[in-house]
Formats: sequence, C-alpha cells, structure tokens
Amino acid sequence: MEKLAQIINKIRANKGNAEPVALTPQTRLREDLAFDSFDLAELTVHVEDAFGKDIFEDGVVDTIADVCKRLGI
Amino acid sequence: MNILLTGASRGVGLVICKTLLEQGHAVYAVSRTHSDEIAALQKQYPEKLFFKSADLGDPAAAKAAIFAEDFVSNKIALDAFVNNAAQAYDDIVTNLNLEPLRAMYEVNVFAPMLLTKYAIRNMLLHGKSGGIVHISSISAHTGYKGLAMYASSKGAIEAFSKNTAREWGGRGVRSNVVVPGFMETAMSATLSQEQKDRIYKRTSLKKATDISSVAETVAFLVSDRAASITGQAIHVDNGTI
Repeated sequence: MEKLAQIINKIRANKGNAEPVALTPQTRLREDLAFDSFDLAELTVHVEDAFGKDIFEDGVVDTIADVCKRLGI
Repeated sequence: MNILLTGASRGVGLVICKTLLEQGHAVYAVSRTHSDEIAALQKQYPEKLFFKSADLGDPAAAKAAIFAEDFVSNKIALDAFVNNAAQAYDDIVTNLNLEPLRAMYEVNVFAPMLLTKYAIRNMLLHGKSGGIVHISSISAHTGYKGLAMYASSKGAIEAFSKNTAREWGGRGVRSNVVVPGFMETAMSATLSQEQKDRIYKRTSLKKATDISSVAETVAFLVSDRAASITGQAIHVDNGTI
C-alpha cells in the first residue's frame, strides 16, 4: 500500500499537485484523484513495474480497493 | 538512443539497422531469422546491436519475446520504435483468400499495434518522450493491380499512426509514417522487369526508390531533429504520381 501511495503521489506531483494524498480503500482513481486516462496509463505501467501485474488487463478498476484486489495486497 | 526495430535482417530493415548503428544508436533488432549481414553487424557493433528472433505472425508471442528481461526489459528506456517488418500477400481481389489475408494482417497490422502499445508503455515508465515510425508503402496511396490487400494493411497502419500521434502527443510521443516507393528488395522480387519498369514510369525520377534515402528518413524522424514532426506520412517515393 505504501509503494502504491508513492506511485500515485508521484503521478499527482508531476501534474502539479504537490500535496501528497492519503489513500483509503474507497478512494476513487478518477473522481477523487482526478486521474484521466493518460494518468491511469502511467499508473498502470508503474504499478506493473513494481508489482509485476497489469491492473487493467482484466477490465476497468475504479477504487484503491480494486487495485489492491488485483495486486493481491 | 535505444531503438527497437522489426524486420531488421534484410531489405530496407537491414539498411535502417546499419544507418542507425552508424549514427551511434543502440538497436534492438527483431526478425524471424538471423542473417549473415546481422551477424556481421553484431561483430562490428557488439555493444550496440542486440538481436532477438521473433515471428510477428504470432503477435502475443512476439511481444512476450521482445519485451522480456533478456531484451527490451523495463531497465531499457526506449527512445524509438521502428515498425518495418511486413509480409506481402499479392493477388487480385477476386482471388482473395481469408487465411493468407489474416496471416498478413497479424504481421503488418496487429503485431505493430501491440508492439506500439508496449513501446509507449516503456516510454511512459521512463517518463521519456519518444518516436515511433511505421514503414508504409506507396501502394496505400496509388493503386496497383494485385496489391489491394497488402495496401489495405498499410492504410490501416497509417491511420493508426495518425491517431497515435494525436492521442499521445501531449506526453511527448511522436508517431510518423515513411511511405517508400518501390524498392529493389525481396518484397518486389516476384515482379517482372516489365512490371517494375511500368511502376517506375509512374515516378517523377523514373527509377526504383533508393533504400538508403528511406533509411536516412527513418533515422531523421526518430531523432530530435524531427522534434516538431508528428502525425505525418513522409513520402520517399521518387515522386510517384
């Protein structure tokens, strides 16, 4: 979860959101983090590099809980 | 730059490979078969040329072989992808057979689309801008008897490139197409001299397209010298009319 938070906050920082965000299982990637499809693509490649799994391979994920479930963490 | 190149063992792909190596780039070369020419280049550029045998007729297996730990792993930051590998399926439309048509589309369309996906993912991972160049064919722009199926595959990849450029430009990824005229390669070896002469008469320069001119254009398009060029189809075709 800590690694996931690092990845997400790095993507947010690159978009000019310097404030790290506290993630909860209910945090929604699009609505709460304002991730667009390009941010989600970036998230996918960084998560795959860190955890060895493509989180979007089996369909859309919506929340942090969905991501954790796909990753088994 | 680190450049992934398909169809590198012969024809225009081999000349592109040589040109990129001469300009100091590292080339991750892919072909179904190894060739003596590639072996000679590996001897000349042991630190710069890496070869992987893969059959693009099976795009998923080819992707797995290419984006692997021993080749273009996540540790390698790709700067460019050159999609050159292609297969011909020449016949008149009334003889069209689905099986060879599908086989050609696997190599000419589906594999390059899948490899583009992973090339862009690699660029995203490393936070780098990058260049993609697809090798098309003049047949997609000027009709020739017997080339409708082949030309359609090149038309598909040109549309894919244009849209890739639009979609990923905001992240610094450029996508362009080089449109060669007829060259003296194995791909056109089945044509008779008379057929070739007829084709060359339709060009302004009245001769076969120079392969090195195609290769130099590819090298230019992947480089920073082409930083403002994207979504384009550059014709290197002796002025085909």
